Formats: sequence, structure tokens, C-alpha cells
Amino acid sequence: MQIRTILTFILLGLFLTTGYTQTPACTFTIRGRVVDSDTQLPLSGVTLTVSPGTQQLLSDGHGYFRFSQLCGGVRYAITATSVGFDSLVTEVTLANDETLTLALHHGRILLHDVNVVGHQQAVVTTNAVRSVASEQVAQVQGKTLADIFSTLPGVSMLQTGTTIAKPVINGMHSNRILILNNGIRQEGQQWGSEHAPEIDPFVAKDFKLIKGAEGVRYGADAIGGVIITSPALLPVDPHLSGELNTIYQANGRGAVVSGMLQSGVSALPGLAWRVQGTAKRSGNVRTADYYLGNTGLAEYNASAALRYSHTQSVFDAYYSRFYTSLGIFTGAHVGTIDDIQARVDAGRPFETYPFTYAINVPRQRVIHDLGKLKWHRDYARGGSSDIQYGIQRNHRQEYDIRRGGRDALPMLDMVLTTQTLDANYQTPLYDHWRTQVGTNLTLQVNNNVPGTLNTPLIPNYDSFTGGLFAIQRLIRERYEWELGIRYDFKTFDAAGFDKYQNLYGGQRNFHNVSGSFGGVWHAGAAWQLRSNVGLAWRAPSANELYSNGLHHGAALYEIGDTELASEHGYKWVVSPSYGSGPVTIDLDLYTQYIQHYIYAQPSPGEFLQTIRGTFPVFRYKQTDATFFGADFSLQYKLLDGLNYNLNASIIRARDITNDVYLPYIPSDRFDHRLRWQLPVENKITSNTYITFAHQWVLEQKRYEPGTDYAPPPPAYHTFSLYAGSQLALGDHPLEAGISVTNLFNELYKEYMNRFRYYSHGLGREISVRLSYSF
Amino acid sequence: MKHPFKTLSVTLLSVGFLAFASSCSKDDPEPEVPQEEIGSATLTFTEVEWHGDHAHDLEDPEVVEVTFDEDGLPPVGAHLHLDAGKTYRLTLSATDFVGREGAEQEFLEESDIHQIFFLGAPEGVLDYQYADPDNKRVGVTGYLHVLKPSDSFVFNVILRHLNNGVKANISADDWNNPNYAQFSGETDLDLKVEVHVVDGDHDHDDHDH
Repeated sequence: MQIRTILTFILLGLFLTTGYTQTPACTFTIRGRVVDSDTQLPLSGVTLTVSPGTQQLLSDGHGYFRFSQLCGGVRYAITATSVGFDSLVTEVTLANDETLTLALHHGRILLHDVNVVGHQQAVVTTNAVRSVASEQVAQVQGKTLADIFSTLPGVSMLQTGTTIAKPVINGMHSNRILILNNGIRQEGQQWGSEHAPEIDPFVAKDFKLIKGAEGVRYGADAIGGVIITSPALLPVDPHLSGELNTIYQANGRGAVVSGMLQSGVSALPGLAWRVQGTAKRSGNVRTADYYLGNTGLAEYNASAALRYSHTQSVFDAYYSRFYTSLGIFTGAHVGTIDDIQARVDAGRPFETYPFTYAINVPRQRVIHDLGKLKWHRDYARGGSSDIQYGIQRNHRQEYDIRRGGRDALPMLDMVLTTQTLDANYQTPLYDHWRTQVGTNLTLQVNNNVPGTLNTPLIPNYDSFTGGLFAIQRLIRERYEWELGIRYDFKTFDAAGFDKYQNLYGGQRNFHNVSGSFGGVWHAGAAWQLRSNVGLAWRAPSANELYSNGLHHGAALYEIGDTELASEHGYKWVVSPSYGSGPVTIDLDLYTQYIQHYIYAQPSPGEFLQTIRGTFPVFRYKQTDATFFGADFSLQYKLLDGLNYNLNASIIRARDITNDVYLPYIPSDRFDHRLRWQLPVENKITSNTYITFAHQWVLEQKRYEPGTDYAPPPPAYHTFSLYAGSQLALGDHPLEAGISVTNLFNELYKEYMNRFRYYSHGLGREISVRLSYSF
Repeated sequence: MKHPFKTLSVTLLSVGFLAFASSCSKDDPEPEVPQEEIGSATLTFTEVEWHGDHAHDLEDPEVVEVTFDEDGLPPVGAHLHLDAGKTYRLTLSATDFVGREGAEQEFLEESDIHQIFFLGAPEGVLDYQYADPDNKRVGVTGYLHVLKPSDSFVFNVILRHLNNGVKANISADDWNNPNYAQFSGETDLDLKVEVHVVDGDHDHDDHDH
């Protein structure tokens, strides 16, 4: 009775207020945008109502909406509702026109099978899917894909100097992880630790990570995990929109410009296009103390996308080109062990280098083209089918300091062409059961471009991989089970000439059955438990089978083994998560057993005598290995506007056959940050924040003495400061931000940087960015 | 309305399969003859008459020569004798990857990125002066002064292929700098041979070893 009385009073009060203020002119407008709070992607088709009043509308293809003829002084409640998201009510009292960003949170109710965001397909798995928050993406914008993902717990970077970085998931990288670039498995020469993924991060808006062994769904190589980058959805409305990003990086005096234009086509509803391009140029970067010679970078990327959707079908065409030319730190160009030892003893380069934009040898030049055609069709009750064809051409040229004025001639010149054909069908939901079946075919041809006057590192080869999989899922409101099985066949046919002009090669066939089993339990509103056991595999790569040559920069001679068997990884991940009130906790506990783990081991007592000196011999061998680890993430809302976030990653890896530690395993690291959202919300500025971050990387004490030129470097701390704000520029938002990493200009070395023998890590980096969308 | 999509999807699939079927096998590999390695190298010690700052050729000089194969190895058991008190013109000659002579000319032509170091001798036994044409200071030609007798040692000749700009940091006094590795670059030649400095009167043939 009492409640009803109070409600009546409130309503009466509201009514009176409304009545009282209705006299002023009702000319105000509320504009805004609805986004997914996790991915920051715009949400279209969200129902928006404003009360008091009767206005109701749907957000457009970009998530934008607009209410007009609103009255000043009135307290309006704007309600946004959409399937799969919690409803959001925002209250505003108008004194001026207002701009709002409504971030919807995914509902805690199970709705995994609803494609909320147009035709953007959700990643469906019982493994935890981690996304990089868009604010953190913005903070590292202009850097590499690995930099973006390394903001997530469990992901670190394998670096070759400052210009090359590869993502490492739970201690695995290169051929042990899979990168899905806009739905296509990225195929470069990823076996090389100095071969970074050829992806322009500006193309993507969504960066997702699965740490489980998702071999069944995605095929070979997904032993350590899967990285998924996807662009934003194409717009449906026919007005031209776009984005312009500019970044200045003080360290390296680099500039990045990235622009995008997109629109629907009014003449043909359902048709939409997008063009995008990025240019990046920087010069020699600095450690805390000195410049690193020849660390300039030039990168030019472009992409175009076309989509036609009609009722139940969507056709996609996509093309992208990635071009990079990068210098490799000159001080790391070494001949013999004596050279390396002299540098290790000195701890830093012998020479001093000036600043320059010039890129000299040693350097890399890579062009990666990717084309994609896709047909997606939806059926009633959530059934769908996809057919996707992808073609990639990766042209990699590596230049080194050569004799006889041949510096302009590449030492390594390879063209890798990969074609993929993927088809899958997902049944509608039948009484809580859903089945997915699919096939993946991959055809790969690698050719060495003749004329390098140098023995190619890997042979020419063609390889065909065919896989078939089926996944059965049981979906209940509180829990979910998933069982998957897959069969793969791979044939690999190689031919090359060694340095004595002898023909080598031959054919190898690999068969493999993999499987996965997992579940999700929604224990309550706050608790969720995910668990997945997956078996994934990969065939040995061309270099592991056939390499036979001097590894420049490491002063060792690597010899492959043509008899290597496939590697099998069994990974069990348990991910409890808790989210209630001010606290969100995510934990990933994993244990992994890898049978036939392939790595290059020093061959005891074996040296190669050449006219240039004596080199230790490393041979690719197989062993069994175990990995254990935990990734922890805590988010705590301390006060209004003040948030604390802690990420921690711990990993233990061992070669259990020889009972030794594995090399190049990331040391334990802790990363925590305090974010303060400034209480400055007005017509001009919104979402103004300052973040202070501290990273503590421990010394890697788990290594085998004597197997490396230098012991792992000591622990180090780096501090960073980030700030940003969104400014209203006319009708459109301008985002401004500043990032200062390694704030105190610390001189440090990272174990996972292969050039730590020769130099320190990056010094203070200041970058300023402006991002304008319209 | 359904026909356009069928056509479109069929076209799309056909394009896919056509592309899939084509260009699906590797090219025949072509042998590459590696040209980065030097085929062989020879060190020649020719006795000269030294006049403080220049040398005169002798009519019938004593010549000591050793050749290193493509792996950088001298003949098995190679053991050179140099006479204390004498001066030798030490020249390096090399063959290229197919055995053509004159590869050492490349080091002179690119004198700004090449430097030879002569290591291994006990303190005070040897002295060296670069004597390349046009003062190029590479070490393809130079004078080796044998100052005093010594026990056998491994004479190590290192030819550095230097990074740009590094040569400016190297002086003539660095001819036997054991820390040559700090002059950044690669090693083109790493030659090792046993040398024994004997008294000037000591005759080779009599030497017992």
C-alpha cells in the first residue's frame, strides 16, 4: 500500500514537472549511438523509446538514432532494448541538444545463438572468448597486431628487435596458433620467428582471442589458441560515412594516417561498400639511452569490401593488400659466436647511430594480398550455411648485407599462394540440440623466386589439406555441452636444391583425428564456468622438415628432419568467471600436453666448419612437452569513475622427455592499471579519462643454462600513462588521446625479444592520436 | 526474385573452384649457386728487404704459402715457419665460389667495409703494416715484421665485412685487436694455421717437428 502511494506521488510529481515545463519551446534534439559495450561495435535495430512521449525508433545501420522536438527542462528517460542485451535506461534533463552513447551489455541470459549484430556472426564455443576493449585498442593504435593482443592476460609478444612482433598465446606462437583475418586463416611464412603477421590492425574493429585448442572448428595449427580479427559491419543506410585516424609517435618520429569511407547504395538496397587505407612511416627508434640503427618502417595498406544482403542471403567480397618494408637493427647483424659473445658482454651496441628514416640492409619487404568471397545464408530458427573462398599471396623478400655489392638482391625471395575453401552448415535448434558440420580445404604452393644467388631456406612445395568436422551442441538455459570431432588429411610435396646443387624433397602424408569436448555452466547471475578439452594438431612446417643453412642473426646452423611426425596438443582450459556489482573476475587455468613437440635443439658437440668460422649446429627434434598456466583478470570499480584492473599471467613449460625447460617461454608478468573517468560531461567533451598503468615482468628463471648465449635478463618495471577524451565537433565525434609508455624511460631487456643480446627495449614512447568519425 | 541469387551464387562458386583448380602445383626448383662464400684463400709470405719505411724485393726470396679450402681449413698438419728478424710481404689471395682467382679485388674495391685482422701471435712477436694500394688499409697486402722467436701459435686471419660507417672507428693499430668482434659486421674469412717463429738461421728442412 505504502509503495503504491509513493509511486503515485512520484508519478504525480513527474506529471506536474512535465506539465510545468511544457511551456518552453520544444526544439531540442537528442542524438546518439548504440554500441555493444564489449566490442564497441555499433548496434543496429535497437528499439529506442523516449518517455515521457510516444517517440519510438530503431537505431540505424551505424547504431545512430535521433529524437527531435524534445522540450527543455524535462527529465527524459531513454530506453534501449535489443534481443540478447540488457535493457538500458538513461535519464537526461535537457538544457541543450544532447549527444549520447548508449553501451549495451550482453544479457546474462543465454542467447548465444542469436546473431544480434546484423550478420556479424558470434564466435560460438565453450571456450572463453576474450575481446580487447576498444579503449585499449585505441591506446596502442599505430602499433602491431601483437601489441593489441598483448593487452590481454595470457598473451605476450615474441619480438625480433623493435620492428617485428608476433603474438604469443600461453607460450605458443607461429605455427602453433591460428590467426583468422576477416574469417580467412592467415597464411604467410608464419614458421619464422622474425615473420610478423601481415595484418593492418586498422582494418579490424574487433579483436578476439580463444585460448583453447580449437582444432576441431578451425583446423590444423590451433594448438595454442586462435586470434580472430574482424572488421566492423558494413552500413545498411545509404549515407556516406567514414573515419580518419592520425597518430604521431615521438619515438621514431613516426606518423600514421588511416582513413575509411563507407556507404550503402540507395539505388540497390542491401548493397554496401567500404574502402580503407593506412600509411605508416617511422624512423630509427630509441631505447632509454641510444638510437637503434636501421629500425625504420614503412607500411602501406589498403582494403575494399562489398556486401550485398537480401532477405536470407549475404554475399561478401573483400580484398586487402598489406605492404611493409622494415629495417632490422644493424647492431644485430653478426657473423659468429664471437660476435654475439662480444655484444652480450658489452650489453649494448658498440656503435652509436643517428636518427634517420632510411631503411637499409638487413631489411624485409613483404606484400600480402588477400581476397575473399563469401556466401552466407540464414534459415529459420537460427540455422545457417556459409561457403567461403579465400586466396592469399604472400611475397616475402629478405635482404641482407652481402658481398660484392649484392645488397640490393634479396637473400630470400618466396611467394606463398594459399587458397582456402570453407563450407559449413549449422542446423536450426531442434529441441535444444544443434549440429554444425563443415569442411575446410586448403591448397598451398610455395615457390622460391630464382635468382637470389643464395640457397633457399625452404624448398618449393605444394600442400593440400582437407578436413571434415562435426560439432554437436546441447543448449539449455543454465548449461551447454559441446562435442566435436574432426578428420584431417594433409599431403606435402617438396622439391629443392641444396647448396651443393643436389635435389632433395619428397612427399609426406599426414592423417589426423582431433576432437574436443566442453561445457558452459551459468551457475547464477554472477558466476559462470567454462571448460574445454581440445586436441589440436599441426604437421611439421617446411623449415622444420627441410631447413639446412646458417641462421643469420643467431649464428647457428639449423638442420631440419624430414622424418618428423605431426605435433599433437591436448589442452584443457577451465575458465571460471564472476561478475557482480563492482567486481568482475576472469580466470583461465590451463594444462597442455604436447606430443611430438618440435623445436630446434643444440646438437651436442656438433659444429659446422666454414670459411667464415665455426657455427654450432641445431637440429629440429621432437619431444613431449607440458605447459601449465593461469591467466587472471580482475576489474574493480573502486569509486564512481575510478576503476582498477589487474592482469596476471603465469606459465610453466617443460620438455618432459629430456626433463629440461623449454626455451623462449614468457616469464610471469603482472599488469595493472587505474582508470579515472573525469567528471567532465558536457556538450563538447565526454568520456574523458586518465589511466595510469604499471607492468612488472619477472626474470625467467626456468631455463637451461648453457643453451643460450646469455641468461634471461633481470625483472623490469615499466609505467605508462594514457589519457583520452571524446570531443563533439559539429555533429560528429572527434576522439583525442595521448599514450606515454615507458614513462620513466627505463633501460630494460625483455627475454622474449630475440635481439636482447644486442640492445635494450624501447625507451619512452609518446604518441598522440586524433580520430574523427562522420 | 530468386534467380539472381542462384546465378550469383553459382558464379561465385565457379570462380572459387576455377581459381582453386588452377595454380595448384609448385614450380620446378632451380638450383642456386651460392655466391656468398669465398671458394678458397691463400696466404703468401714473401721475404723482403725492409728499409724502415719501405721494402725492396729480394732476388731469391724465401716464400711461405698456405692455401685454405672452401671450409676454411689448411692442409692437414700444415705448420708454417717464419724467421725471426725478417720482414715478409703478406698477401691474401682468394678464389670465388667457382674457383676463379682474384676474389680479393672485391675487398679492395669495397675497402670502406672490409678489414683484415691478424691475431694469435704472442705479445711482441709480430708487427704489421697495412700496405694496400692507395692507402686503402684493408690488409690484402701488408708487411709482417717477425720480431723474435716464439713457440708455435695459431695464426688467425680474420676478414671482417663491416657494417656501414664502422671502418671509421678502426685505426692501423687495430691490426691485431683481439676485440675485433666489436667492429660490427660479419666475418667473410676466418683462417687459422699453426705458425712457428724460428731463429733467422734456422733452416726449414732441418726443423724437426
